[in-house]
Amino acid sequence: MIVATHLSRRFGPLLAVDDLSFQIEAGEVVGFLGPNGAGKTTTLRILAGFLPATSGSASVAGFDVLRQSMEVRKRIGYLAESVPLYGEHRVEEMLDFQGRLHGMSRADRRRRVPEVLERVGVLDRRRQLVGHLSRGLRQRVGLATALLPDPEVLILDEPTSGLDPLQRIEVRRLIADLAGEHTLIVSSHILPEIEAVCPRVLILSRGRLAADGSREELVRTLGGGSRVRVELASGAARGGPGLPGAADRLRAIPGVERLRERDAVEGVLAFDLDCEVDLRPAVGELARREGWTLRELSWREATLEELFARIALELDEELPQESTEAAASPEADA
Amino acid sequence: MRGLGTIWRRELAGLFVAPLAWVLLAVAFALNGWIFVAILKERNGDLITALRFMGGESLTYWAFMCFLPPLLTMRLISEESRNGMLEFLLTAPVSDGAVVLGKFLAAWSFMGLFWSANLVYAAALHALGAPPDWPPVLGGYLGALLVSGLFCAIGLLTSAATSTPALAAFLALVGNTLILLLPQLAGLFDAAWLHEEVAAVDVISHFQRSFLVGVLDTKSLAFFVAWTGFFLFLASRSVEAKRWR
Repeated sequence: MIVATHLSRRFGPLLAVDDLSFQIEAGEVVGFLGPNGAGKTTTLRILAGFLPATSGSASVAGFDVLRQSMEVRKRIGYLAESVPLYGEHRVEEMLDFQGRLHGMSRADRRRRVPEVLERVGVLDRRRQLVGHLSRGLRQRVGLATALLPDPEVLILDEPTSGLDPLQRIEVRRLIADLAGEHTLIVSSHILPEIEAVCPRVLILSRGRLAADGSREELVRTLGGGSRVRVELASGAARGGPGLPGAADRLRAIPGVERLRERDAVEGVLAFDLDCEVDLRPAVGELARREGWTLRELSWREATLEELFARIALELDEELPQESTEAAASPEADA
Repeated sequence: MRGLGTIWRRELAGLFVAPLAWVLLAVAFALNGWIFVAILKERNGDLITALRFMGGESLTYWAFMCFLPPLLTMRLISEESRNGMLEFLLTAPVSDGAVVLGKFLAAWSFMGLFWSANLVYAAALHALGAPPDWPPVLGGYLGALLVSGLFCAIGLLTSAATSTPALAAFLALVGNTLILLLPQLAGLFDAAWLHEEVAAVDVISHFQRSFLVGVLDTKSLAFFVAWTGFFLFLASRSVEAKRWR
């Protein structure tokens, strides 16, 4: 349905999109994730036919976005981040205008306008001026406008930007409802937004495609963030000899990729063992054999957020536990 | 041209939703009416002179002609480019040309309504039993439409080329003034060839020698249509250029 091949876009000296290639099948729901300035909006604008690429090509439904722009535009519904709507229009007038631009007949518009307004939950606001609506309602009207021509591809650029937590949840639900009916591309710099609605994620960083796959695939193939956390009572605090060689023995467990010693309170040794599989049984068995006293033995799977942070922000260190858990929960911001 | 009528209707409605259009119309009609009555009194009821004066021989007429189109067109593209509406329009299945032409037609229609005041005065006089000389009145109206069209096209070009409405209006105003003062500016130089060239593109002379005397000169008609088309083409290219910046 959507094919981008070596897409690049330059704004003067700035390379906003750099050799981007990807393919999206019909019916897929794909999230574009990346920090601000990663090239998400530019890529979506190229796909929507608004911006031409400096080099490379892109096609939607088999039509080249540059050479057959009109055919592409007939097939997409695009909601820009700024939610452009005429404030002086009533809600239903705005949709009627969009219907006319798309060449819909009067009968189609009469049928479709109330249908999509009901779908996004603003049918009761149809006579209200767009300029008098709250940000959340404007977002819904923008979504209705994009949906009106029943496009094959729906492109939503930061659809929850500027919304309060409750409004974000509502918009997310709407987007989830639309999955299966359209090929959906949703961009966001907020990970939970993408995790909540998109089975497939494209992570952009500095205009380049840094990762592409489902959350599980990305964590599995690029993850490297899974770890067993071990805390041992060293005995040193009680005047004992400590645990000489504990780190070497833990490191020798088959499957341990890396061992990192962590700061801990006096009398406690703390380690993180990077590993792809859960090594708690092996660590527990070693502790039993050596007679170590275990204070903590836990398993943490890598999260998409850690992966995102490492790729997009080029961090190599673990995020604080609290922030990781809070952000990894889809409803954490609610 | 797909979407042209839709954009034209929306823009025209948009002009009338904003208070600016009503204020401009109210001020211009009041001023026009007052000047018309004053001239009628001064010339002892000489209708032909009064209508000619109102239809293209007065300074007020050319001042309106110079100022109004920039005020109408300044926001049409520059503001939409800033608030994202241009992105909305240009991702809908309508061409850049349809967007520019639709906006032009809206501003031009407004100017058509504005200049219709003279037709109303003439019709009123006709109804009161003092029929005016209709060919110059109708010719003057057609000429007013053509000059307004040219200045609206220039206004759209400056609106497309800049990102602030005030700057767009200022540039268009400067452009319109320079075009109207071209013969006077050329007169500063002692070059016969220059005077001839400038005479060929003198807007006021094209208007007054043809339309204002009730003669439909195809050369003048082609002059206005060609230049208006040229500036609309540049405006359309300027909108397209925004995508590449």
